[in-house]
Amino acid sequence: MISVGFEGIGKDFGAGPVLDDVSFTVDAGEIHALVGENGAGKSTLMKILAGYLPATSGRVLLGGVPTEFRDQREAEAEGVVLIHQELNLVEDLTVADNIFLGRERRRRGFLDERAMHREAGALLRRVGLDVDPWTRVRTLIVAQKQLLEIAKALARNAGLLIMDEPTASLTPAEVERLFGLIRDLNGRGVTILYISHKLEEVLALAERVTVLRDGRYVETVRAGASSRQALANLMVGREIAAMFPEKLLQDRGSPLWRVRDVGVPGWAQRVSFDLQRGEILGFAGLVGAGRTELFEGILGLRPRSGGHFELEGRRLRIHHPADAVRAGIVYLSEDRKGKGLHLRLGLAPNLTLMALHRYARPLLRRDRERAALGDAMRRYNIRAGSPEAVAGTLSGGNQQKLALAKVLHTEPKVLVLDEPTRGVDVGAKQEIYRLIQHLAAQGLGIVVVSSELVELIGIAHRLIVMRGGRVTGELGGEGLSEAEVIAYATGVKETHAA
Amino acid sequence: MKRIYQLIVVVALALTATAFAQDQKVIGVSIPAADHGWTAGVVYWANQAKAQVEEAYPNLSIIVKTAKDPAEQANQIQDLVTVNKIDALVILPYESAPLTKPVADVKKQGVFVVVVDRGLTDPSIQDVYVAGDNPGMGRVSGEYVAQKLGGNGQIVVLRGIPTVIDNQRYDAFMEVMKQHPGIKVLDAQYANWNRDDGFKVMQDFLTRFPKIDAVWAQDDDIAVGVLRAIQQANRSDIQFVLGGAGMKEFVKMVMDGDPLVPADVLYPPNMVDTAINVAAMHYVSGSAVLGTYIVAAPLVTKDNAAQYYFPNSPF
Amino acid sequence: MQPESSLHPVPRRRARIRLSAFGPLLGLAALVALATALNPAFLTIANIFNVLTRTSFIGIIAVGGTFVIIAGGIDLSVGSMAALLAGSMILVMNALAPTLGGGWLTIVVGMLFVVALGALFGLGHGLAITKGRIEPFIVTLGTLGIFRSVLTYLSEGGAITLQLGLSNVYSHVYYGSFLRVPIPLWVFLAMAILGAVLLNRTAFGRHVQAIGSNEQVARYAALRVDREKIVTYMIQGVCVAVATILYVPRLGSASPSTGLLWELEAIAAVIIGGTALKGGSGSVPGTVVGAILLSTIGNVLNLTSIISVYLNAAVQGVVIILVAFLQRGREAR
Repeated sequence: MISVGFEGIGKDFGAGPVLDDVSFTVDAGEIHALVGENGAGKSTLMKILAGYLPATSGRVLLGGVPTEFRDQREAEAEGVVLIHQELNLVEDLTVADNIFLGRERRRRGFLDERAMHREAGALLRRVGLDVDPWTRVRTLIVAQKQLLEIAKALARNAGLLIMDEPTASLTPAEVERLFGLIRDLNGRGVTILYISHKLEEVLALAERVTVLRDGRYVETVRAGASSRQALANLMVGREIAAMFPEKLLQDRGSPLWRVRDVGVPGWAQRVSFDLQRGEILGFAGLVGAGRTELFEGILGLRPRSGGHFELEGRRLRIHHPADAVRAGIVYLSEDRKGKGLHLRLGLAPNLTLMALHRYARPLLRRDRERAALGDAMRRYNIRAGSPEAVAGTLSGGNQQKLALAKVLHTEPKVLVLDEPTRGVDVGAKQEIYRLIQHLAAQGLGIVVVSSELVELIGIAHRLIVMRGGRVTGELGGEGLSEAEVIAYATGVKETHAA
Repeated sequence: MKRIYQLIVVVALALTATAFAQDQKVIGVSIPAADHGWTAGVVYWANQAKAQVEEAYPNLSIIVKTAKDPAEQANQIQDLVTVNKIDALVILPYESAPLTKPVADVKKQGVFVVVVDRGLTDPSIQDVYVAGDNPGMGRVSGEYVAQKLGGNGQIVVLRGIPTVIDNQRYDAFMEVMKQHPGIKVLDAQYANWNRDDGFKVMQDFLTRFPKIDAVWAQDDDIAVGVLRAIQQANRSDIQFVLGGAGMKEFVKMVMDGDPLVPADVLYPPNMVDTAINVAAMHYVSGSAVLGTYIVAAPLVTKDNAAQYYFPNSPF
Repeated sequence: MQPESSLHPVPRRRARIRLSAFGPLLGLAALVALATALNPAFLTIANIFNVLTRTSFIGIIAVGGTFVIIAGGIDLSVGSMAALLAGSMILVMNALAPTLGGGWLTIVVGMLFVVALGALFGLGHGLAITKGRIEPFIVTLGTLGIFRSVLTYLSEGGAITLQLGLSNVYSHVYYGSFLRVPIPLWVFLAMAILGAVLLNRTAFGRHVQAIGSNEQVARYAALRVDREKIVTYMIQGVCVAVATILYVPRLGSASPSTGLLWELEAIAAVIIGGTALKGGSGSVPGTVVGAILLSTIGNVLNLTSIISVYLNAAVQGVVIILVAFLQRGREAR
């Protein structure tokens, strides 16, 4: 059992303090949550605790003893393990290799593959990840990778487990399993420090919750004595209005986009749906239900079998993503860092990338690009240190707003958003919901794929539920309840014949 | 062919007259691939010799193999023995040291070995050595330059690729220069037996030295670049350029009396032809052929150029 | 998300100093100062023109290489390609001379031919790499061998030589001047400017950078990734062809040693010039400075004899590493 005390922790990267005089304690054997908006300093504080960064001032007490780790290996040797928000896996190695990376089991000097396979198998069963330990990590989906990260931490005999947004891409069922796991670990004496944006999760899991804002300590509250609204207010520092805007649907009568009989080999079969002008259509389902792959197939990003599309009543052929963009259909990937934005490029080149032809006559008008960036930063409330910054330096929420601005820059008719609020703080989330609603009100058709049921129910007019690559249910109006969606997503209910 | 060489033949007639001439014999020829002018000449002459020998002696067959590096050549001679079952090997080694052991192995299996141009590090392996005379080439070049300049003047030297061959030529040349204190060697730089490097190095020499009386380019490929650089710089101080090896274009220039190219020093790629003929003789003459043949490096001038001009050779 | 406040400043045009060529420029300046101290002949117009003119082959090839490398590819075949293009061009011109005459008409047809052939080779590379999904390193390593051995075959190991008459007319392209500046330099300058504009001021150039920076993101942004990559290899092929057009009149011949190791020099010029070998960013002016730096090293070594000729390659190595070090300092800033 490890207790943690932070005493006056400060951190400055050279551009003003990121953490300023943060002090609070985590009791031994406690499940303690840390919340705050993006940029509040949660991740930095945890990196200091786990030996990734040195503090500029202040000290950390572990079990009452001042401790300063030189690197994460030292921290892990003491049982302090951090599971990163960004997955920290070697994609080309196997699941077992990753679990034992740096601590490989050896027999007579050689790797003991069989022992590692066996132990890895046991760990994977504990976290409920049903894959062979010899699978290459590259082939796993995001949710599976997250479970693998947890298995990896378990392999290190953690006495203090720090989890930074572990549920960002997990489905409700998986979140429940994870919570069971956390409570189980906690029951065996592991202290848990849990960082999340999802306030309802925090309240369900933690005993106490500490709120950080702008690098400062705000308050520690007992979970049982608080509420989502109260926490959100503490985080933002002001009263925030209801999370989701009111739904408006101006039904123009005619379907905007008609999709028929799409198959994506290995992922989806015979999927059909219609999207109306001004409609927000949600796609729900468990991770692995084939939603992302379905839309990647439709957009020409992966091989597709069959499929018939009509946009505004006209036949549409899509062989390449460029065909879709030209017709007015754009897709925002769930993987912002890997597929959504060029992190090493500037903001303006990111913004205009999909619509460069508008700036080339034939030479690029960089002044117009800059003007467009200024316009987009204002319109979408993108906050950046400097307009000349590279995209990778923005916070998650601002990156997501930039990614949205980028696809919107093509002036699309149909917008497909995959996990539009993943890794985004409460304030930015709300902005994104309003933007989605605003765009729908202007007549765009919007598809939202999300693992957050609350979010889908909060913004979508209609929900399509997928399971195992097929549409199992369609819900609208009164039917929009979490229980109902979960029933379809898990196969308890099914309305569409296969 | 024979008249081309001054052959210093140390022939030891064998005590035993080996197998009768009518047996079918296979001669393997292993030479470097044609990656520059001189080796292209070697390949050409090897094939010429093959055609000529096979026609003259129906009981002999010749297999010509080229290699692009010493390792490949070592593999190749193994194959020649095990697959082609050769009776004799004519080899122009890519490099001396790495091929000594492989050739020794071949020898142990009873193959008659003729080494051309570059000697092996252990001379006891070879039955016959047809040697190129690199020091002789440097010496003849040096003597010609000294004589032509009348013992006085400033010269620049372009060298080949840093190898034993280049060192032998260069050292012999400089040895001659020592005896002529009136001639000053301004500088020597590597031009890698290559036209483009010859051009660049000469351009820089021309920039650096306002007065150059003569150029020893050592090799005709280098000399091609040297001549272009002189032409571009419009310099009239250079009296002549001496190349080497006997590229047909240069022999032609000598023949035609080009003022800048009054002579060339031969290092004939057709020494491989001699070697193949020597190997053939071993089988058809009925008596064993042994010893060392040194293929000299004669000076080619306007008077004798015609006999060294082979317009069909690629070199 | 309406305009919320004026807290977020409109991006203003800021004076941005382009430092991309800073490291190599510093190296070049140091080298020039050193060379002039060692031998004042270095700073003569004639020598400067010599160096720049001989840089033009590698320089032009490296301009093309900048595109390939920024897009995340590599072309190892350029030296061999130059040799084969030179040989083919000479053979074609020699064959055309009897019908088209020994003058400019034949030469211009030869030039057009070689540009088309270069583009075709690039197309072949691009298709094998994108549609064939073979690593660019392997594809171009393969063609490196193929191009050179075809040339060796065509020349039977010797030299392919341009007819004397054509050679005399054509030699003006290398040895001639316009406004007292050698023609190859004008061509080099033109190719560099063209390259810089294409890379920085066109949608294509931006796409190339986007693809090299992160190919997945580019694919998801609906760029025609394969097509754009193929075009970079075609640009490389055309650049090699233009370099060949300048090279052939210099010696009037092509041989198996033509263009030997040019690929390494060209790639070194690109990287010294600040282009990331892993792709994504780079600059054409940097490449130009890198190429000039490389050939200046050789020039300085030839102009002085303080260092043993046996150590020439070592000096080049040291300078390259030093410049790369300056480059690193700039990146870290």
